[in-house]
Amino acid sequence: MDQTALRSIPRRRFLRAAAGAGAGMASWLALRKAPAYAQKRELTFLSWNHFVPAADDELRKQAEAFGKANNCTVRVDTMAHLQMPAKIAAEAQSQSGHDMYRTASADPFLYENLLIPMDDLVEKLGKQGGGWYPFAAESCQTKSGWKAIPWFWVSFPGTYNMAHFKKAGFEQPPKTWDELLKMGKVLKKQGNPVGIAISHCSDAHSTYWSVSWSYGAKVLEADGKTPAISSEKTAQVIEWYKELYKDAMEPEVLSWDDAGNNRFLLSGKGSWIHNPVSPYNSALANKQPIADDINHHNSPAGPAGTHSAPPNLSLGIWKFSKNQQLAKEFIAYLFQKQNFDAWIVASNAFNHPPLKNLADHPIWARNPKFAMLPKEAEYGHPRGWPAKPNEAVQRIDDNYVMADMVAKAVNGMPTKRAMDWAQEQVALAVKGQLKVG
Amino acid sequence: MAVGPRVLEATGLPGPGRLSRLREWWEQEHVFGYGLIVPALVLLATLVAFPFGMAIYFSLSDYWVGSPGGWVGLQNYRDILANETFRQTIQNSFVFTGIALSFKIVLGVWLAMLLARNLPLKRVIRGVVLLPFVIPTALSTLAWLWMFDSLYSVVNWTAIRLHLMSAPGPNWLGQSTYAMAAVIIVNVWRGLPFFAITVLAGLMAVPREYQEAAEVDGAGSWSRFWHVTLPLIKPVLAVVILFSTIFTFGDFNIVQVLTRGGPINTTHLFATLAYQVGLQGGNLGQGAAISLFIFPLLALVVFFQLRYIRKE
Amino acid sequence: MASARSRGAHIRSNVFAYANLAPYVFFVLFPFYFMVVTSFKSNAELYNLKSIPFWIQTGPIMDHYALLFQKTDFLTWMKNSLLVAVVATTASVVISILAGYSLARLRFRGAGSFGTAVFVTYLVPPTLLFLPLSQVVVWLGLADSVLALMVTYPTFLVPFCTWLLMGYFRTIPREVEECALVDGATRMQTLWKVVLPMAIPGIICAVLFSFTLCWNEFTYALTFISQSAHKTAVVGVTSDLIRGDIYFWGSLMAGALLASIPIVIVYVLFLDYYVSGLTAGAVKG
Repeated sequence: MDQTALRSIPRRRFLRAAAGAGAGMASWLALRKAPAYAQKRELTFLSWNHFVPAADDELRKQAEAFGKANNCTVRVDTMAHLQMPAKIAAEAQSQSGHDMYRTASADPFLYENLLIPMDDLVEKLGKQGGGWYPFAAESCQTKSGWKAIPWFWVSFPGTYNMAHFKKAGFEQPPKTWDELLKMGKVLKKQGNPVGIAISHCSDAHSTYWSVSWSYGAKVLEADGKTPAISSEKTAQVIEWYKELYKDAMEPEVLSWDDAGNNRFLLSGKGSWIHNPVSPYNSALANKQPIADDINHHNSPAGPAGTHSAPPNLSLGIWKFSKNQQLAKEFIAYLFQKQNFDAWIVASNAFNHPPLKNLADHPIWARNPKFAMLPKEAEYGHPRGWPAKPNEAVQRIDDNYVMADMVAKAVNGMPTKRAMDWAQEQVALAVKGQLKVG
Repeated sequence: MAVGPRVLEATGLPGPGRLSRLREWWEQEHVFGYGLIVPALVLLATLVAFPFGMAIYFSLSDYWVGSPGGWVGLQNYRDILANETFRQTIQNSFVFTGIALSFKIVLGVWLAMLLARNLPLKRVIRGVVLLPFVIPTALSTLAWLWMFDSLYSVVNWTAIRLHLMSAPGPNWLGQSTYAMAAVIIVNVWRGLPFFAITVLAGLMAVPREYQEAAEVDGAGSWSRFWHVTLPLIKPVLAVVILFSTIFTFGDFNIVQVLTRGGPINTTHLFATLAYQVGLQGGNLGQGAAISLFIFPLLALVVFFQLRYIRKE
Repeated sequence: MASARSRGAHIRSNVFAYANLAPYVFFVLFPFYFMVVTSFKSNAELYNLKSIPFWIQTGPIMDHYALLFQKTDFLTWMKNSLLVAVVATTASVVISILAGYSLARLRFRGAGSFGTAVFVTYLVPPTLLFLPLSQVVVWLGLADSVLALMVTYPTFLVPFCTWLLMGYFRTIPREVEECALVDGATRMQTLWKVVLPMAIPGIICAVLFSFTLCWNEFTYALTFISQSAHKTAVVGVTSDLIRGDIYFWGSLMAGALLASIPIVIVYVLFLDYYVSGLTAGAVKG
């Protein structure tokens, strides 16, 4: 080996490596800091993947229009809603991320001290829009004021297959949960059972809250701290579920995810589910003939009246955002009548406005299959009612306590024991209370 | 005349100046050794040790997402142990890992032995067998979700037509035993290739003479396997089992996509329960405690396995 | 006569082997076949309870693939995945070569414990780690950029590759290195010119393994990236094709298959190296 060559190689190599590392560092630093002069304000918004893609397209269109009018850019990022909790937690934890995002259920309470107050905007838009629906206030107004502004809610009616009902001799869909039970028995014998999820999915709880309130049962007292799930009324609810499971449903409801009931109805087997209008809309989109047979009806009532738990989505702005005022202006822009209307149409009636004046859009009145939906707002409550949707409610919901309680009961556990288990779980959820302020 | 540094060292003649002294220092075994591990050390210290420390801190404090709480010592651990769901999770994890590992070991070794033979098409078959490991888990699990669907399950459809089951077939993801079976099947499907190919590599290092000697001695194939082959692949097997145990205990994607821990928490693993409690529910303190619960046990397992492997 | 008999025995033994392999191959390929069929099936047939899962009765359609390419940023995602995988793999393998060689060959205090510590980092579950890690990522100014992934992926790649290469370096005879040192090479030169060429199979094995892990990674990619244009293939496909409670099964399967193709190609090309790389690394490790 030539000695001089040998000695010089490492040096050359070293210099090359150092240059490479230096270039790497330089480019890294450059990518970190955007040049100061080029800064147009950028507003970032994290939302979910609307199941009607056209709604997201409309949202982006409006974002662009707003950006042009206000000399800024608005970036709308969307992701699957089941992946959002992880992302939101990461943003809350690292205090960086999007300026505003679509909150769900108890987020305004969970992140109460991380979101900015929205009282001024809420009042302005409320006046302009004829007032908010009561459940909207219940879900976004925390002890320290409005921490999010309700954006839209999703109606949760009974979705049924008219042809199956007709074949069974029923001209009208059920008006009460009891009627559903009776009709369900007949329908199951016909080979078209009904379906309510009893599994680890959000639909399972949406229905449970609905049924239990209709029977006058609750999970927590209004103070948000006292477990109230173990009661005569809850026992009634569980017995109802047991009978429904045995005589009107099939075991597959124990494994459903949120899409399970959609598949059930669209396969032609199911006759009735409790769900937003997504199956009807996707049948239309896929040009499936079953779309003609699908219709909706208002959520059934019970001895204690009609109640339902429509998913209620709102918009929150993080405290760490540097564009808080801009975000508020963007929200106000979205709520302008022509914009919100366009967005409702794009979603094919899926998105319901939380403001009374925006709710009489002809899209519902025009289509007999949608006409009954806006009424759902009148008896909607956020999860946890009569308690406010605090972090205990969130935990109970996220840990599927009620779904598990019903599942245990239908699988043979005595009702009282299942209720006691649920009561214990609720007590545990209440114990670790978040300290706010 | 240019002479290398070693020779200079040996003869004791002074080298030319500061640069050469630096080089000499660098050439020492322990300096060079430490120097080479510096990048890895920095990487792991900043991006693993530090977040890990934070995670331990979470588990020992009343930490909620975005709202740091105060120190509570082992309270989180006490709380989760008091919860029946967590105790169920512990049981699930051991059942899941135990059964999945057993299948992977037995089937993996068997498959490796088959692949070691000199068959035509052997390269193609080896490639094919590697496929489940290669495809992203998040996506292949979705395919399995559809295959186990309560209505459209192709598994049921096939089994019914083959007269292995009667219609309508079990609701895989809705009944506890079947759900556990389903997640185990997917885990084995995903993990088998790694086992098989790694053990195959170990088998190929076994000289043929050993096998042939045993054959000549008149040993039957089972006894040949048990007494000759198995001891020789023990080191490989030990390593693979170690890695697989860690991965299987920490599995998240399969259960999360297929059952989300249901039905009634009978398939919850540590990772999925931690996700549900910590991220969806916001209680990071408890979530961290759940995730870290198994860590001491695993650390012990790793420690002993590594000692065993080093001794071989 | 003897050769004919042994040939017969040979064929019988092969048939026996194939028969035993058949169930494995079936088990492994079954989901893939199903995914391929689903990606070409129309939605109407897919949701029809009476259809046969293994056939396409109404004729294959390209709609799902079209949707994947036209309505999503699939190609961008693939590009991102590729970029991240290549950079992270390169960085990790380089770091692992250095660390592996040091731990395998050089004697210095604490080598053993560092080796164990490297291994122990594997026990930390990423589903827990990603939250504090996201904070670190923000401090480094890397939020919402593929750089964040390039920096964090080595954390789970380096431990395994280090261990693997350690085992491999140990198989290289010391004499070769000592010869080089006596000949006047520096330690770095010995590593670079003498040891590495002999360790190529092991290095390729490390590269393959790292590439696969990078490509398949989900949690970090989900958390650290927000914009669709920066997403990796796996995150993009699961994120955009599952909307609310509607799964776009056809496109999901199409995406899953297409997203696996790059790795399959890489593996097929280097499979022999992969196997021989694991041999030395595993047995002597």
